[in-house]
Amino acid sequence: MAAVNKHIILLDSLRIGFTSGKRITELTQPLRASSGGGELIAVIGRNGIGKSTLLRTLTGLQEALGGNILLYDKYISEYTRMDLARTVGYISTEIVRASNMTVLDLVSLGRFPHTNWLGKIDRDSYLAIEGSLHKTGLADFRNRNISELSDGERQKAMIARVLAQDTEIMIMDEPTAFLDISSKYEIINLMLELTEEGKTIVFSTHDFDIALNQADKIWLLLNSGILEGAPEDLVLNGSFDHLFDSEIIGFNSNDGSFSFTKKPRKEIYVSGEGIKRMWTEHALERTGYSITDNDNNLKVIIPEKNNKKWLLEIKESTEHFDSIYELTQRLRE
Amino acid sequence: MITPDNIEEVTEFRPGKRFGTLFILLSAVLLITFIFDIFLGSVTIKPAEILRILTGNADGNVETIILNFRIPKAFTALAVGIALSLSGLQMQTIFRNPMAGPYVLGVSSGASFGVALVILGFSASFFAGNLQNIGNWIIVLSAWAGAGIVMILIMFISSRIRDIMTILIIGIMLASGISAVVSIMQYFSSETMLKTYVIWTMGSLGNLSVGQLKVLAITVTAGMILSIASVKILNALLLGENYAASIGLNIKFSRLLIFACTCIMAGSVTAFCGPIGFIGIAVPHIVRNIFRSSDHKILVPGTILTGSIIMLISDIISQLPGTERILPVNSVTSLIGIPVVIWVILRRKNETGVF
Repeated sequence: MAAVNKHIILLDSLRIGFTSGKRITELTQPLRASSGGGELIAVIGRNGIGKSTLLRTLTGLQEALGGNILLYDKYISEYTRMDLARTVGYISTEIVRASNMTVLDLVSLGRFPHTNWLGKIDRDSYLAIEGSLHKTGLADFRNRNISELSDGERQKAMIARVLAQDTEIMIMDEPTAFLDISSKYEIINLMLELTEEGKTIVFSTHDFDIALNQADKIWLLLNSGILEGAPEDLVLNGSFDHLFDSEIIGFNSNDGSFSFTKKPRKEIYVSGEGIKRMWTEHALERTGYSITDNDNNLKVIIPEKNNKKWLLEIKESTEHFDSIYELTQRLRE
Repeated sequence: MITPDNIEEVTEFRPGKRFGTLFILLSAVLLITFIFDIFLGSVTIKPAEILRILTGNADGNVETIILNFRIPKAFTALAVGIALSLSGLQMQTIFRNPMAGPYVLGVSSGASFGVALVILGFSASFFAGNLQNIGNWIIVLSAWAGAGIVMILIMFISSRIRDIMTILIIGIMLASGISAVVSIMQYFSSETMLKTYVIWTMGSLGNLSVGQLKVLAITVTAGMILSIASVKILNALLLGENYAASIGLNIKFSRLLIFACTCIMAGSVTAFCGPIGFIGIAVPHIVRNIFRSSDHKILVPGTILTGSIIMLISDIISQLPGTERILPVNSVTSLIGIPVVIWVILRRKNETGVF
């Protein structure tokens, strides 16, 4: 099958940055990237590279320094303010603070580009608001004051607001920042559900695990431009090595993790099976040992049942440990 | 979909019903305070006289007091209450600052400066006598210009400094700076002009000519219509400017509209009644606490009613019913408004960042 030519989002030599007075600060080389729509796109890159600026430019909140953004094959500059607000929704890290504002009030404001001059909630708007409250699981929170929400609930309310705005494209700047693990995955899960329903979501994140394991596509923002592709493509073509200039951190293409490139202290042989072996190896590598296949004079024997102990054989002697922690304490010496 | 099971939720979308009783109650209180304001004062008019006035058989003196003095003054109080409270509400929303108000941020001072320039400066060479002889529209326009300059300054500062208290302090500094300049102008002005100006600064609802009352009525009505027309804009601005722009609000136009509206209302009132403090900052907080809503479709009419009531009550108090004395209305509004402001500041200690 031929490649799909339809682009929901297309960045064409887009130049992003700031102008203050006559001084122009361009953040990166011109950017080229695209999205076929109905997918979750993670924007990753180091601090200050311009992730937020890119997202703000995509939302139309900030002028591009040059180049073009096309949404549904139409230049962003050709959209009227209201048309753009019906096409792209935006959530930043900024927290909305207003006294007496309920979740319902907040979500209703998402209807702004659809309502009349008074902001009257008609039947369509009512259904959109109810729908987004239910979809985000906030139906019982509608009369809750937004200042009383937890971080996760607040983020859901912001998502519900954009859902009520009824845009095909949603832009989110670090939607999972400051969230605990369960709220984080709830939000990501919600975002995935929305992309399955056809929404295109572009979000920035510092959470590499989420980008690698949940996103359909990654826009890796570098000084030289955007490297884009499925997370796996970027793993295989070594793109993630560009993420760090430093030599002490390296990307492990086998398991998709970043780790410190420490000089291994010694080689160690591990004997045993199963999940305990996996985590023991994890601990040993963290402590600075490299796992070897050769049975040598440094050897760890993994306990087979719960009541047994970890055995460490050094040359001729054997030592017993109750936990991985005790084992690593000994090996640090 | 709407089904018989969730029909209750549907009705929740008609806030008018939920707040209907409150609005009726406030309207009733407004009517009562308006009537009291007309009949209470240094000469208390008995209810029996009302009938006589209505039937045209009243004592000439009483009729004169009511028609030429009390009724115009009550309408002035109404206009002042509406204008100052609405401009306070709009400033609090656009600056996202609970401490914003035309008086505390120096907008009234800016308007005073405009008026001072006319009374103490230019008028000395062009007009003789008192404030009445200076064209009403000239005074109003100069007040608008003065208020506008301060608004622009405050906007410029608040786009750089987020801290609410800092902006408040800068507003006070601006007001002090302006009053210093005005003092210098006073030093160089003629005695009659100085007297006119000092009386003007005390604030009064009762010294307006018919012409001035007309100008005030026109400008406040215009401001009120603009405020009602901008409820959707004000609601969007509650999200902050970034989100407001992302849902389709034209920020520059909205700012301009609301600034113009604020300057017209606060400026006109200051031009004719002098600087009247703490109504603009206090009333919106009282309204938010009565209605427990952030929706300007509720807050704007609520502010119109509550602002009028509080200004009428202030006027009744300033007339010291039953005595021959009159207090400056500015002092009365300050004594009513300041406790509200202090209460807001103290409450903020517990709910940081929420307004």
